[in-house]
Amino acid sequence: MDHANLPIAILEGVLVFLILFKIYSARRGRDLYIRRIPGLNAIEEAVGRATEMGRPMMFSPGINALNMPTLQALSILRHVTSVAARYRTRVIVPTCDSVVYTVAEEISKDAYNSEGRPEQFNADDIRYLSDDQFAYASGCVGILTREKIASSFMFGAFFAEALILAETGHNMGAMQVAGTPSITQIPFFITSCDYTIIGDEFYAASAYLSREPTLLGSLVGQDYAKGVLIVVIVAGIIAASVLGVDHQLLSLLSTFGQ
Amino acid sequence: MFTHWIVKPGAPQYIWALAVLGDFLIMGGALFFLLRMVPSRFRKTLVAAVTFLAGLIYSVEFFVPPDPATGENFLTSFAQKTVTDVVLVLSTFALGLGIYSLLRFHGRNLARRRAGWHNSLALYFAFFAMLLSGFWTMMGKSPAASNTYDMLFRGLVAAPGATMFSIIAFYIVSAAYRAFRIRSGEATLMLAAAFVVMLGSVPIGEYLTSGLPTTGFLSNFRMENVNLWILKEPNMAAWRGISFGVEIGALAMALRTWLSLERGSFFEREL
Repeated sequence: MDHANLPIAILEGVLVFLILFKIYSARRGRDLYIRRIPGLNAIEEAVGRATEMGRPMMFSPGINALNMPTLQALSILRHVTSVAARYRTRVIVPTCDSVVYTVAEEISKDAYNSEGRPEQFNADDIRYLSDDQFAYASGCVGILTREKIASSFMFGAFFAEALILAETGHNMGAMQVAGTPSITQIPFFITSCDYTIIGDEFYAASAYLSREPTLLGSLVGQDYAKGVLIVVIVAGIIAASVLGVDHQLLSLLSTFGQ
Repeated sequence: MFTHWIVKPGAPQYIWALAVLGDFLIMGGALFFLLRMVPSRFRKTLVAAVTFLAGLIYSVEFFVPPDPATGENFLTSFAQKTVTDVVLVLSTFALGLGIYSLLRFHGRNLARRRAGWHNSLALYFAFFAMLLSGFWTMMGKSPAASNTYDMLFRGLVAAPGATMFSIIAFYIVSAAYRAFRIRSGEATLMLAAAFVVMLGSVPIGEYLTSGLPTTGFLSNFRMENVNLWILKEPNMAAWRGISFGVEIGALAMALRTWLSLERGSFFEREL
């Protein structure tokens, strides 16, 4: 397993401190501003469209096990299910991992309960399809075509199956909103989906949708952390350009990247 | 946990399988019972404490300097083996729930003769065929058992998987057609960049600019060098920019999960 060296431990400590500091200052009631993210605003529009058409929606939380991207996807699922419960629209959630399946089921049930519509929860709408990547993809394609999905959400970690899901949804005429930290799949989502959430916007989704102080503070802390990284990069560029590639400052900065 | 006490070494594999299953059920039942005994107002605190301790193992393991000879510290083997085994056991419990969900859904399709019920029948057939042939292979070394398993795996699992993968080629063409339609300045720029990259990756591209020298300033305009420049400079810069944001976002998310600050976005109330 990898271990931290001293510069990494210092950098990690600074980033963690910034994020936690902003979380606690937000919890104390400081007003925080976050910019508009059109892809996340489109979620209500997509739910509304499905309601008007009287057809269900599909939410795919990616094909990873329960890791960070999947957890983020599940927090977005919670929001989508809450809006769907308000509009009385079905959300079908195909999963590729049995642990994700159990958590997704609990989250959906809780979302319907908190909206005062527990009777709307249908356990058959949260489905475990397969652990196999392409078996999962073909299962999702089957749901998209058989159930005539009106709106499709794809949030989480995706790999080669991303284009299969997105293109089928596009051919079906579904409104599609996608978000992924998998950089190689972003171009496929951009070409096939109506809205795509890229990069760190994906991890901003839960803060943006819930407006909880803890999450908003974390989001602002992330921006500060990015600022620290930009300072390290600019210092590296200056050290290399002005002082020469053998300068001590550059060798110190390069240890951050090891 | 109790399997090694109950089953003697050298016992048939199916005895081991049954003993492990029984072990899981007993341990799972005991854990479930203990959790139910905890008063509900302390249950969330207990979950938060367990989450924190589990995260702490990996954090301490990462930050404590390793022994230079072995590359490991006092927690490495525990984090690598014991914790991984615990996670595996928990995932196995959830796998049972997943399979139950799958069979329940398709069982209802069959019982109510919903549209496409024959697909559900195919699923039941494939599921039990793989299950039984797996047990058959496990119980003995008969060639018929392994041949049946191979035939089912290659015919029912590998071939459809390869077919789905090959479909991507056709989807790439239709997606690329839409992406490269010239509708704006950005789309035109992307089309031009993609054209150069594609041309620079095939022999005809190299041939077109083969008249240019291989060294000196003009060599930069050879198609293969322009291709490399696009991939290594602007493309890599954008890639790394997105990566920085993604990794910091993941760090923030991990912190919130570790400290149980994220719960409000999954369930009704924060801790």
